[in-house]
Amino acid sequence: MAHDHHNAPPSDTAMRVKALETLLTEKGLVDPAAIDTLIDLYQTKIGPRNGAKVVARAWTDPDYRARLLEDGTKAIAEFGFTGVQGEDMVVVENTEDVHNLVVCTLCSCYPWPTLGLPPIWYKSAPYRARAVSDPRGVIAEFGVDLPEDVEVRVWDSNAELRYLVLPRRPAGTDDMDEDQLAELVSRDAMIGTALVEAPAS
Amino acid sequence: MNGIHDLGGMHGLGPIEREADEPYFHEEWEGRVFGLFFANFAQGHFNVDQFRHGIEKMAPAGYLQTSYYEHWLHSFETLLSEKGIISLEELDRKQAELSQAGDT
Amino acid sequence: MPMLTSEIVPGLVAGGASCRMDADVAPKFKPGDRVTTININPLGHTRLPRYVRGKTGTVARDHGVFAFPDTSVSGVHSDPQHVYSVRFEGEELWGQDANARSCLYIDMFDRYLEPA
Repeated sequence: MAHDHHNAPPSDTAMRVKALETLLTEKGLVDPAAIDTLIDLYQTKIGPRNGAKVVARAWTDPDYRARLLEDGTKAIAEFGFTGVQGEDMVVVENTEDVHNLVVCTLCSCYPWPTLGLPPIWYKSAPYRARAVSDPRGVIAEFGVDLPEDVEVRVWDSNAELRYLVLPRRPAGTDDMDEDQLAELVSRDAMIGTALVEAPAS
Repeated sequence: MNGIHDLGGMHGLGPIEREADEPYFHEEWEGRVFGLFFANFAQGHFNVDQFRHGIEKMAPAGYLQTSYYEHWLHSFETLLSEKGIISLEELDRKQAELSQAGDT
Repeated sequence: MPMLTSEIVPGLVAGGASCRMDADVAPKFKPGDRVTTININPLGHTRLPRYVRGKTGTVARDHGVFAFPDTSVSGVHSDPQHVYSVRFEGEELWGQDANARSCLYIDMFDRYLEPA
C-alpha cells in the first residue's frame, strides 16, 4: 500500500475516507472537530507511558501490586487511566517461573488507556497466528532469551477483558525512584515481547 | 464464522515485521477513520460486535492484503449502507466529485 | 442520538463502554472446574476461535457477567452470562508440536462450555 507523499496526489483510500467523512458531515451525523479532538487526545495523552507508571508503582509499593493483581481495573483507575478498551482490565505478572504474552488472535484487542493504540505488528496476521501456537518462537524473534524452564502463558484477548503484563523489575535498580523506573518500562515489555533491562551503568 | 480473521495457529504468514517508533497513524486518513469509529458508535449506528463482524465478512484475500484501517473503512461502508445511512452509490459519487475537484 | 462533539469526547473516552451487564445470572462453573469447549461452527459472529473448539481445560477465574457477543451482534447487548478465564495446556491445543511448558488463557463465555 503506497504511502502518500507531500507532492503525490491523495490515494484512492484517502479520497474514499474524505468522501465518507464529508457525506456524514453533510448529513449532520458527524462533526469533524470531534475527530480532530480524538486524534489529538490519543496522540498526546494516551500511550504506554501510562502503563509504565502503573508498573513502576507496582514495583515500589507491594500493597499497590497486590491490588493491581487482584482487580486491575480498580487499581489502574487510581491513576485515571480508564475508559475505552480498558473498561475491564486484568494484570498478569511475570515471575521467575512464568512469562506472559498477550495477543488478540481474532482482531486487535489491546488495553488502550494503559498502552495507547497497538503497533501494526500486534495487529498483523503473523503475530496473531503464531503467538498462540509458537509463543517461544515469537518471543525469540523479538530477541528475548527465555529459559526453557520458564512457563509461557499466552493470553488471547477474545472477550472484553484487556490484559497488561507486569514485567519483572530488573536487578540493579534499587536506588531508582518511580519516575526513573517508569522510564525503563517499554510498551513491548507490557505486552510480553520484551523484558525490562536495567540501564547500562 | 470460520473466517480469515480467525488466525490462531495458522502457518505460512511470514515474519513479524516491526517498525521502530511508529506513529499511531501513518497517513492522515487513518486518523480520520479512527475518529469516525467513535462518531458512528456514539450515534448508535453500530456496536463493537457488529463492527468486528463487518470486518470478519471481508473477502479473505482482501483482508490479508489491505491495511488495518482499510478494514475499519470496509466495515463502516458495509454497516452504514446496510442501515441505509449512506448508499455506496452516493459514496462513489462523492469520492469522484472530490477527486475531480483536485481536493487534497 | 446526539452527534459526537469535541466537548463530549473526553468524557466518552474516559468513561468507555463496558460490556458488563448488571444481571443476576448464576455461573455454571467455578475456578478449578474442568471444562470442554463446544464444537460450534456458526456462520455468524462468535468469539470462540476454531483452535479452541472441542478442547478441555481448567477454569482459572470467573470474570463476572458480560453481554454475549454472538447475540449482541444483532445490535443490542443481550444474553448476559459469566465469562471465565480458562487455561488450556499447549499440548491440548497443538499436540506434539506445542512449545514445551506453554499454555493458553482465553476468556470463555458460559455458553461455550460444557463440563468435561
